Order: sequence, then C-alpha cells, then structure tokens
Amino acid sequence: MSAPLLWIIFPLVVSAVLWFLKERRQLVILLSAGLCLFLAFLAWRVPIDSLITMGPISFNISSTLSFLGRSFILASNNSAFLILIYLIGAFWLIGASVADVPNTFAPLGLALISLLVAALAVQPFLYAALLIEVAVLLSIPMLVPLGETAGQGVIRYLIFQTLALPFILLAGWAAAGVEANPTDQRLLIQAVVLLGLGFTFWLAVFPFYAWVPLLAGEAHPYVAGFVLSLLPTVVLLLMLDFLNAFAWLRAYPLLPEVLQLVGSLMVITGGIWSAFQWDLSRLFGYAVIIESGFSLLALSLGNQAGLQVFAASFLPRMLALGLWALSLSIIGKQGSANFNSLEGLLHRQPFTAVGFLLAYFSLGGLPLLAGFPMREILLEGVAQKNLMVAFWTLLGSIGFLASGFRILAVLAKSSEKTWQIQEKWMQIVLLTGGGLALFLVGIYPRIFLSGVLNLLRAFQRLV
Amino acid sequence: MIFQRFDVIPVILLMGTSLSLLISQRWRYTLISLAVQYLAVFWLVALVWPLGLAAIKLVVGLMAGALVGSLQPPDEIVEEKNAGISGGIFRSLAASLIWLAVFSIAPGLLNWVPTQPVILWGGLILIGMGLLQLGMTTRPLRIIVGLLTVISGFEILYASLESSLLVAGLLAMINLGIGLTGAYLLAGPTMKDAA
Repeated sequence: MSAPLLWIIFPLVVSAVLWFLKERRQLVILLSAGLCLFLAFLAWRVPIDSLITMGPISFNISSTLSFLGRSFILASNNSAFLILIYLIGAFWLIGASVADVPNTFAPLGLALISLLVAALAVQPFLYAALLIEVAVLLSIPMLVPLGETAGQGVIRYLIFQTLALPFILLAGWAAAGVEANPTDQRLLIQAVVLLGLGFTFWLAVFPFYAWVPLLAGEAHPYVAGFVLSLLPTVVLLLMLDFLNAFAWLRAYPLLPEVLQLVGSLMVITGGIWSAFQWDLSRLFGYAVIIESGFSLLALSLGNQAGLQVFAASFLPRMLALGLWALSLSIIGKQGSANFNSLEGLLHRQPFTAVGFLLAYFSLGGLPLLAGFPMREILLEGVAQKNLMVAFWTLLGSIGFLASGFRILAVLAKSSEKTWQIQEKWMQIVLLTGGGLALFLVGIYPRIFLSGVLNLLRAFQRLV
Repeated sequence: MIFQRFDVIPVILLMGTSLSLLISQRWRYTLISLAVQYLAVFWLVALVWPLGLAAIKLVVGLMAGALVGSLQPPDEIVEEKNAGISGGIFRSLAASLIWLAVFSIAPGLLNWVPTQPVILWGGLILIGMGLLQLGMTTRPLRIIVGLLTVISGFEILYASLESSLLVAGLLAMINLGIGLTGAYLLAGPTMKDAA
C-alpha cells in the first residue's frame, strides 16, 4: 500500500460513491466528515515508509505512487499537512450538517480535498497546476447548484483560476531551463515573471481580486467559504513548496520586496473597501483577500519568525472563516445578509450574532482572540523591516475593524425588549464551540499553534 | 509533409475562426467555427508532435464543442450590448488590433520561446482573441468559448516546449472539463435538483 493511495485515491473513490447517495444529505455529510477525521487520525498515528506490525501482520506504507512515469509523493514530513488538510475538511463538513448546503457539497468537497492533496504531492510540481484546475472545475457545481444561474463572481472565478494554468505550466518549463543553466538571467526573469503571474491569478492578488467579494456575495455562504478558505491555503503551501524546491527563486533579490508590496496592497485595499461594504457576504470576500495579503507579508519577512507566523496563521484563520461562514448560512435562512436587514439580530439570534462578531474580530486581529498573537508578531516583524509598510498595513486592519464595530452597532440596535433564541440546538453547539475555540487559541496560542508549525518540516530548505 | 508545406494556412484559418467566434450571434456558426479552429490547432500541433498525439487535440476539441453545442442554446450566444452592425465593426477592429500586436511582438518573442514562427503566431492569435472574447462578454457560452480559445492557443505554444503524454492527457481532461462546465452552466438554470 502507498500513502497517495490512502490519502488521495481512496477519498476520491469514496467521493464518487457518495455522489450516488447525495439525496441522503445528512448521511453523506456524516460519512465524509468521518472519513476526513479518520484520514487525519491515520496521518497522525501511521508512520510512512516504516514497517508497521499489527500482531502477526506486518506491512509498509510507501511514500510514492507512480503513474504514467510521474510520481505522487507523501513522505513522513508531509504528515502535518495531511492532518491539517483533513482536519480542515472534517471541520467544514461537520458544520455543513447545520448550514443547509446543497446536496453536492459533501461528495464534491471530499473530491476537492483529495485533488488538492494530489496537487501538493505530485512531482514534478508543474502538474499541480493541472490538478488545481480540475479542482476548480469540480467546484463549479458546488457553487452553482442546479436550478440557479451562474453570477459574475463564479464566471470570473472560473476565468481567473483557469488563466493561472498556462502561466504555471510555462513557468515549470522555464524553471527546468534555469535549473539546467542557472547563469541565464533572461530565463531566470522569465521563470520568475511567469510564476508570479500564475500565483497572482491563483491567490487573487491585487488587482485581480474583484471576483472574490462577488463570489462570496453570490454563492451559498458556506460553500463559498469552503472554497475560498481551502483553495488559498493549498496555493500558499504550494508557493512554499516552490520556494523550497528552487534555490534560484529563494535567492531572487526582488522577491521579498515584491511579496511585501503585493501583500500590503492587498491588506490596505481590502481593509479600505471593507470599511465601505454593506453586505456581510461580500465582507467575507474582503476578509479572505486580507488574510492572503497577511500570508504574503509573513513570507516577505524571509526569516524563521515569518515562516512560523505563516504556518501558525492557518489554524486561527480557518476557525474564524468557518465560524463566519456558518453564521452567514444561519443568517441567510432568515433573509438577506445586508446591514439593513440585520438590525436587532443580537436579540433574535444571539448565538449567531456573537459567533459572527467573534469570527470577524479574530480576523481583524483584536486582542484575546485567535488572530491576535500572530498578527502582533507579524506587524512587529514588518515594522522592523519597513515602518511605512507596517503603518499602512495597520491602517488596512483598522479599516476592516471599523466595519466590524459598525456591524456590532447594527446587530445590537433593537427596539425589542425581549430576547429570542431562534437557532437550533446543533447550531448553538457548533457556534459556541467555534467561539470558545477562538478564545482558547487567542489566550493560549503556544499550546494550540505549536502543532501547526510541524507543517514547516516539509520545507526543510526554508527552515 | 503537407502540413509543413502549407503551414501558414492554419494561421489564416485561426484568424478567421477566432474572428467569427467573436462576432457571431448564432450558435451554429459559433460551433462550426470552433470545430474548424480545432482543426487548425491540430494542424499546427502536428508540426511538432507525432500525428497520432496531435490528433488528441482535434478529437478533444470537437468533443468539448459537442458538449457545449448539445444544448443548442440560441439565446445564450446573442449579446445584449453591441449586437448590431456597429458592434460587429467594433469587435472586428479590436480583433485587428490583436493581430497587429501579435505580428509585431512575435519576432521579439521568438528569442524567449524557441519555436517556429507559425506556431507562435497561431498560439498568440488564439490567446489574444480568447482574452478579447473573455473581456467583452458576460454570457456563459461565450465565456466558455473564450476559455477554450485561450487554452487552445496555449496548447499550441506548449506543444513545442513539452511533449509529455501525461500533460497531453491532463490538458485534454481540462478541455473536456471546461466543455462540461459550460454545458452545466447553460443547462443548470433550467434543471431542478432531485432533492
């Protein structure tokens, strides 16, 4: 048996089987979430490339699966990534049970996760672009369920993600040329530019991010949240993989400056636009943009602290985005996510409103919440390199937070004297659990975030 | 070989088909143009790949076109804005600017991409016209046709750089995937979920 067979092919096959059972939505969601938890547990407990003895039986899980002359490799140093990605999958799938998602969500979501794992496992890297494109195409039926018309956000998402494919494939060709002839400056510039453009489209980097808030505003909030949180996470890890693999890319003198400029522009513009936004779903899109910007800023530091912030930010980000998407799904059942229709929500759906606010302020970097510790370290690091960039980035964060306080005022404004609890008990359990997790990670960051740092073991040339 | 002797013909065909895709308001003409476009793509790819492997591009392209065309969506192709003669003239002028740009930058690009000029012309024309199509419409059918055009252009260029069987297979899968996505986006609104 091989690790790619277990963590890529097996969930892919299960997702295909679950597709035919999709009418039994709750069962399919539970099975998918259970499988993700099981695979995360296996990634934690089962060693790869070592002999495993269970009584009289002994076997070995090899790290490599060969396919048409190419390899999928999941070595022991990828365990942390496998745990993270399948825990993220389980987290989103468990929440889906109360989020009223379309029937296609669980089977396609599981297939999406296994394809993205395949994208990180495939060698040579350039094949990752093809696998990510397949994942993007597969996500379209999730985002546009039968009976609905595709909006501009979905269409633009499809266009921009597809445009990344040629650039990454051409970058792969140019990169092979640079490896063969490292002194060829023309080829080096060509490879860096092509790679940069590919990642720009994938990560919805400034100025190609207009589709993100549009998509978040059009699609089911939970489905959009799943796609918009999973895809950038994998693309960011892929970016780290590229940096780890190519010495010429790591040594490229302009890389830190470009990452810093692009990252700070995303945070600043995202923060400013969000201050003028009146729709909670679209605000989610801006939150995703700002988070991608902070990740690029962390990479721009080019040191150990930056890498640790980059890796450790995944957990609080995922918790907050998940809680936000779940709250939006519950709000969406009652009506629009526009500010005007949310007055007094705190009195009608207190758990949803508080869950949403905690998620929002955690992403905004408010003290005591999960997002704060990493944000503080990151801003300190950026300030040591360039005070102006730190100032503007802080300004972007303030813009985002200002919108949060505006939302707080709207949600709390009510003429009703009585309080109601309109949420179902399972929704209350998940919302409360998510909110508490944000507090716990914020108060005890060392305990919860140190495990995520194992992600960096897969990128040994960077550490 | 006949393909090498008349290697400018596919470039001329690509200019004609991509222009037709841009200005056509009837889905039949669009699908015929797409089919001819894939024939020209096959022709150019056959200059650098074995004939059997290059035929994948033709077969897959025709299948992707058939997937989109199977829905016969007459309204989906008609542009709400700039649909008349003036719109056609505007699109033709924009297309001629793309051709001008392609033939101007191609000699310079030959230093970067080591391939034959006709392959570079064909690839760049399709990429440029596809991007123009994507930038000028909001209709799902036109968007899908635009994406297929851009990917076809890229495939022509990439064929001269990489001849891996797996890449050819995966790119074929992506072409079919885009075709299927197009069919889904066109048919989805009129269908109802079983549950």
